[in-house]
Amino acid sequence: MASASERSYTRRDTVMFLVCLGLALLALVSPDSWGLGIAAALRETVLAPVVWLQARAEEGRTSRDRLRIITAERDSAAYRAQALPSLLAENERLRQLLSLSRRTSSPYVAAEVLHQAQATDGRTLLLSVGTRDGVAAFDPVLAPEGLIGVVLNASARTSVVMTWAHPEFRVSAFTVTGNAAGVVAPFTGADGVDGALEFRGVPYRDSVPAGTLVLSSGLGGVYPKGIPVGTVTGVIREQAGWERVYRLLPAANPGSAAHVLVLVAPGGDMARAYPSDSAVRAQPADSVERVRLADSSAQAAPPKPRPRPAPAVGPGDSAR
Amino acid sequence: MIHARASRLQLAGVLLLLVVLHFYVRPRLWGPRVSPDFLFVGLMLYAMRSGPGAAALAGFLVGLAADALTPARFGAGALAHTVVAYLASWGRAVFFADNLLVNAAFVAVGLWIRDLLVLAVSGTGDRPLLAELAVYSPLQALTSALFALLVLVVFREWFSIRLDA
Repeated sequence: MASASERSYTRRDTVMFLVCLGLALLALVSPDSWGLGIAAALRETVLAPVVWLQARAEEGRTSRDRLRIITAERDSAAYRAQALPSLLAENERLRQLLSLSRRTSSPYVAAEVLHQAQATDGRTLLLSVGTRDGVAAFDPVLAPEGLIGVVLNASARTSVVMTWAHPEFRVSAFTVTGNAAGVVAPFTGADGVDGALEFRGVPYRDSVPAGTLVLSSGLGGVYPKGIPVGTVTGVIREQAGWERVYRLLPAANPGSAAHVLVLVAPGGDMARAYPSDSAVRAQPADSVERVRLADSSAQAAPPKPRPRPAPAVGPGDSAR
Repeated sequence: MIHARASRLQLAGVLLLLVVLHFYVRPRLWGPRVSPDFLFVGLMLYAMRSGPGAAALAGFLVGLAADALTPARFGAGALAHTVVAYLASWGRAVFFADNLLVNAAFVAVGLWIRDLLVLAVSGTGDRPLLAELAVYSPLQALTSALFALLVLVVFREWFSIRLDA
């Protein structure tokens, strides 16, 4: 038979377990804003040393690769900079001739991604920058390949990103060809591929071929226009002649991202920031093709007299 | 024997080492989803050598830290770690002896159950849940169990583990 001290010990253990369980359940059912607030407070106080430690570790891990990349980029930039003054002057002159406004550029903050061990790491990412660096909630987060997500919550030194894998993620988007627009959301169907996106709300008449790049449209004011979101890989479902839902291969992978850019004052067109964008490649090619076609047709066709408008033709003209 | 048991100071030293490994060495290892979870290893080693109540409290605190750093669903980590740590402490006292491989296997099973609870409570879809539980969780459980084995071998005097496995 258990002694009184053993019984009280067991009772105390059970009570402690139930209290911890109750607190955990309370945290689960509490509003999201409370949870994010508590998480931010913990990161800024008791967990600040370990977050700092992890940020230093991430920097150390990638420092050699980054040095190599930065050296290569610096060499390229130095080479290009030799022609920069004349290009700037030429650009300014052409813009004045065409009455174009100045190009807008989005300021950004570079951040380290602090990956965690928990299974839900891909849905939210912890970044090593916060409000002290100018980051605020709803700032878009980009990787070199494309869109990662949006800042969900920012504290002084860290911020939490809701990636495209989060069930609540949405972004307004359009195809690079411009013939279809819709909303991109994480794919949650029963027969789908893990880690995919779906392009919803595309009208049935607007067929989108596989391989088409989908960009953010800029609608809604959160994400700037022109960020690659994903590439169409097929049709997921059709809704009775009303709309088609396409499956997208995401442009960027949050699980493997080590460095990201946070756009601290989003706006404007980001298409020029992504050289891999097929639209950027397609535009000059299209222009060259048009000029070539115009030239060849002009050379092939015999010169024709310019037709005159009918009302302007009078009896005197026909007799001439 | 009392002198053979890990003293609180020694245990605290090992746990501190695991915390440093988790936040400073782990980011330098391979993929984040398969690298050993040093913090969880520390929790399990602590839970297997303390009472269920203390283990539950330690699990709650570790889970809260995990939730603060990965707030996909705040409270999911706290719940999962509390339950796993409590069960580890209770289960070891009831079923298992001080055996090296049993302890390592305990860490692996505990991590898999932790992931199962976190994913289920976070509302993960069927296919991602299956992929996590069938691929990434077993891999992480394996690496964590191997690391736990290493810790137990290195600090076997402190933890008083029999090497008859």
